[in-house]
Amino acid sequence: MKRVVSLLFIAALLALLLYVVANMPPMGDPENPTNSSEVIKRYLNEAEEETHCENVITGIILNYRGYDTMGEVTVIFCALAAVLAVLGREKRGKIYAYADRSRVPSSAIVRTMVAFLVPFIILFSIYTILHGEISPGGGFQGGAIVGGSMIIFTTIFGLYESSQRIPQKLRAPLEGSAVITFFIVGILGMAGGGNFLTYAWPNIATNLQPSVVTWLTILVEIGIGLGGAMVLISILFSMIREEEEIAVAP
Amino acid sequence: MRLLHNYHYIVAMLLFCIGLYTVIVRRNIIKKLIGLNIMETSVFLFYISLGYLEGGIAPIRVGGADPSRMVNPIPQALILTGIVVAVSVTALALALVILLYRQYGTLDVDRLFRDEEVEEETAEEKEGTA
Repeated sequence: MKRVVSLLFIAALLALLLYVVANMPPMGDPENPTNSSEVIKRYLNEAEEETHCENVITGIILNYRGYDTMGEVTVIFCALAAVLAVLGREKRGKIYAYADRSRVPSSAIVRTMVAFLVPFIILFSIYTILHGEISPGGGFQGGAIVGGSMIIFTTIFGLYESSQRIPQKLRAPLEGSAVITFFIVGILGMAGGGNFLTYAWPNIATNLQPSVVTWLTILVEIGIGLGGAMVLISILFSMIREEEEIAVAP
Repeated sequence: MRLLHNYHYIVAMLLFCIGLYTVIVRRNIIKKLIGLNIMETSVFLFYISLGYLEGGIAPIRVGGADPSRMVNPIPQALILTGIVVAVSVTALALALVILLYRQYGTLDVDRLFRDEEVEEETAEEKEGTA
């Protein structure tokens, strides 16, 4: 009964949505209202000179909408804080996951391949972070790649091994690095004579400004990448760890 | 015919409805979360397709690429924010699910509510006898 009622409701909703979509202009038309606003022309034509980012999207999220991105990194930091408040952080030294006690050990092929691939995945994430302003990529993407590589590593080698590789001592101070980097760059912008989060400091010589903007952008990307990666790894460890009272060595 | 040309929009709406159906009908909380993520993905797909340009190129100005042929960068920048927020919501929801499972030993919504009712009734009975 419940299933039939929900199916009818969703069918009605789908019909309504399809009716609305059917009246929308054709996709990909340059004359569409979404594609013909002045803001887009301004971003596409001026972003390179104004933000010194060849990737317009990086210019938008780090420079034009810097406040927005600062709020965004605060959101993932708050998510980490909430997860740790709900589940608790693992105790140092003796942490095991449920999967570590699994009776079926992973095969030699899988272990060798993961041990071989993880360094290359991390190298690729460093490339993604550092080239964020001239090619597709950036801090969030690179951080997510590092987090993904640690998920693979933890799945195969167990929580104990991976927590030895990235210990809590190292992770805890770096979790907030995205927020802190944004604040430091913002305050530096004020010290340089502009507003909060001004990348192009008005107080310095004009010919120095492009390199300052580029380096500040790279600094913010590194901060976001490091902070995002550490937040993801801490969430992973906090979720798969076993309660200390019932923890048994594998 | 225009609807066929706009098939991205149709797929996005179908995905939204599939996700909503999963959230409403499934009793397993993890499946409800998967449905929520499908709904989020459908919104991302819809938004990104709005900024598409016929024969467009990525908005990266390397090697003198022509800005008039680039796709709309604003939806992509906004959806980057949306993805990060979606990940945060999913992480927090999964943490709460883990806590629920440790407390009640089940992920079934119906059984969770039934257990709560039973506990409340026994608590009220105890108060009545005392």
